[in-house]
Amino acid sequence: MPGVAFVAHCLLNQNAKTRGGARCPGIYSPLVDVLRQKGWRIEQMPCPELAFTGLNRFWAVREQYDTTAFRKHCRRLASAVASAVDVHAKAGRDVVLVGIEGSPSMGVCITSSDPERAGLPEWPDGSDELAPGEGIYIEELRSELAARGITGTRLIGITHQLPDHDRHDERTRLEAFLAR
Amino acid sequence: MRRRDKRSYRVALVADRYLNPPARGLDVIPILLEAGWGVIQLPADAYPREVAGPLLEQVAEQTEEFHRHGYDVVVIGRRAGLKEALAMARVPRLDQFVPVNADALIAFLRERPSPKATTARKRTRRVPVADA
Repeated sequence: MPGVAFVAHCLLNQNAKTRGGARCPGIYSPLVDVLRQKGWRIEQMPCPELAFTGLNRFWAVREQYDTTAFRKHCRRLASAVASAVDVHAKAGRDVVLVGIEGSPSMGVCITSSDPERAGLPEWPDGSDELAPGEGIYIEELRSELAARGITGTRLIGITHQLPDHDRHDERTRLEAFLAR
Repeated sequence: MRRRDKRSYRVALVADRYLNPPARGLDVIPILLEAGWGVIQLPADAYPREVAGPLLEQVAEQTEEFHRHGYDVVVIGRRAGLKEALAMARVPRLDQFVPVNADALIAFLRERPSPKATTARKRTRRVPVADA
């Protein structure tokens, strides 16, 4: 039975991306198409980076966001989202979270990492910053849901910013995930 | 290889009933997709006040960032509490449109002016940084 998908902000609004990162003008249709076809309700989560460092932020790795202040900010956002998740969970609906692989805050299985990255933000394109792990917001949201006793919320990450992204493979993976 | 950024500089705050429409309700996603608008979703009317309030606060904070940077930001539909949340975030009154049908929305979007962000952006000259 279709449920409710809480999706990363930028999947409905690519304008929130770090400059240079918008893959399309506004809505990322590959995800929305699948959710719509399967009858899932869409809920948009806030973008933790947009609200914290703004539209002119630099492309950053997880370590640069891993501060007490950013985590506090993420917990505030996560608390609001968890309250909405709770409404649907209590109604017995299946709830999934859709993050962004490779993101320092929204990564589900892959984040970006470079403990040495600092200072003048110039580095060679293609430098290896992808690393296994969760983004900070996703970590805080899972923690908030657990603290509220909300269990069974599944997660998946959209891979459109990974170098080996394949649109067809992603659709297949997404459909299989939603059908579980 | 660096990709070209494809953002539209256009963002619509959209009432939930148009994003998750009831049967035979107006679905704005295909229209916004075709016109290249990004979406900020407004909380569903069914959410209790204590759930919707913090969500509206976050909507307003993000809206302020887009507005301040000259993105074209509009409201599609209505949401109780939005006006107050935007005022708290110091966002001036936004153009609002309550669509009666798809054609009306398409016409509204087509008549929007170019976003200030696309006309005001200038390439800043790089100034060499002196050695420390």
